[in-house]
Amino acid sequence: MIRNFRAIFEYRELLFNLVYREISQRYKQSILGFFWIILNPTFQLLVLFLVFSTIFRLNTYQVPYPIFLVVGLLPWLFFVQSTTASANVLVTNASLITKTAFPREILVYATIIAKMVDFFFSLLIAIVFFVIFQIRPESQFFWVLGFFLIQLIFTAGLSLWLACLNLFYRDIQYLFSLLINLWFYLTPIIYPRDIFPESYQFIFDLNPMAAIIEGYRRAIFDSQPPDFKIFTSLMFFSAVFFTVALGYFKRMESEFADYV
Amino acid sequence: MASHSIILKAENLTKKYRLAKQKTFKEFLPAFIFRKKTSDELIALDNLNFELTKGESLGILGRNGSGKSTLLKIIASVSQPSAGKLHIQGKIAPLIELGAGFHPELTGRENIYLNGALLGYKKKDLNRLLPDIVSFAELNHFIDQPVKHYSSGMYLRLAFSIATAKRPDILLVDEILAVGDLQFQRKCLERIRKFQQQKTNLILVTHDLNLAKSFCQKVLVLDQGKQIFFGEAVRGVKKYLDITQ
Repeated sequence: MIRNFRAIFEYRELLFNLVYREISQRYKQSILGFFWIILNPTFQLLVLFLVFSTIFRLNTYQVPYPIFLVVGLLPWLFFVQSTTASANVLVTNASLITKTAFPREILVYATIIAKMVDFFFSLLIAIVFFVIFQIRPESQFFWVLGFFLIQLIFTAGLSLWLACLNLFYRDIQYLFSLLINLWFYLTPIIYPRDIFPESYQFIFDLNPMAAIIEGYRRAIFDSQPPDFKIFTSLMFFSAVFFTVALGYFKRMESEFADYV
Repeated sequence: MASHSIILKAENLTKKYRLAKQKTFKEFLPAFIFRKKTSDELIALDNLNFELTKGESLGILGRNGSGKSTLLKIIASVSQPSAGKLHIQGKIAPLIELGAGFHPELTGRENIYLNGALLGYKKKDLNRLLPDIVSFAELNHFIDQPVKHYSSGMYLRLAFSIATAKRPDILLVDEILAVGDLQFQRKCLERIRKFQQQKTNLILVTHDLNLAKSFCQKVLVLDQGKQIFFGEAVRGVKKYLDITQ
């Protein structure tokens, strides 16, 4: 594992170049360019807000619904965009994989980092919302960084699985884009977690994204610090998940060029 | 003796491909459950044995589908052998397919940095090498244009120019030179010749027998994955002519 990270460090310039390619190519031929990074989530927020603000008026934290929504939705969009793009990344870079030798996971990491840059830009929306509604985050706000780290590790793990499997079976990308729609509704993003009856709460316990998004909300809205036990077990789970995924990815890597 | 050190050595090098009988999950799942055979085997390279000492160049000859490209992929360590071993010493510049790392929307200059990073150049080196790369590729006016507007000749010139910006220990060349015009071809060959004088090992896949004879000391002849001949170039070319007739 440490050796793997050292290898990635050796290839950091390639990683930066791929991130740059990823970001710049997307907006090269569009007039609004980088504005799309912000326009896209804003539009989704507006739609969801218009639809759901009438249905879910209540939430556990005493904050206006748009604020409640934006804290859940932005990290979720980052998660969706990283994983769906990663599922495809080995296939779209087939020419690189069959021609040059480099650690293939760099392609996955570059995708996630590029989406993370988008995500940071989209946080401007959240800031605007917080200013408009005059909400001040609670003092243990810094916990969001911990949960963000967990989200990154979990996203990287899942992305490695998807990228690898999709190289052998293209069905995976279609299957995943179906599943992630369902996943969205099974994660407390547009509604608060306790809207579900006790007997269904186990769905959220099995869903790392539910715990992560709940973690963001508690860190920002609640005066109590997040449950340390939940935090450590989440961290442990995502670290193990990532390690297993990377192990699998590296084991299959030598066959990529033959199958892609 | 350092000058006779072995740079590249293949021992019983074999590559098998499993060809999936069922291409999709939909076809695969029933076959997997009912324990039907899920793949066929294809032997792309069968027990190859050859070696090159420092400065020696190898021409790989063979008809289409004889395994030449598979062998290049293994030498470029993009693909792994199924059995046997390949020892390589030194830095390889893969030219397997020029412009593989190019992105059409990026400019020539941006692509130099991307492609250079793929080849393992550092940014510092690339900054220094940039003027040379651009002038060798004869792209002075077009270097800030997106590569998608390039002609295939310009594409080739840029790719060759990046890949050979620094002298590699082993240079892999696959047919590709056929695309450029005569004048540029000559320029490329001159550069290759210069590298050879500085002890670069050239590995050349070609159908041009004269090129193989004039640039390579050794020739490897492949036919349907089998090694027909390995040895001195002139005899190798004759052998190749025998099997193609």
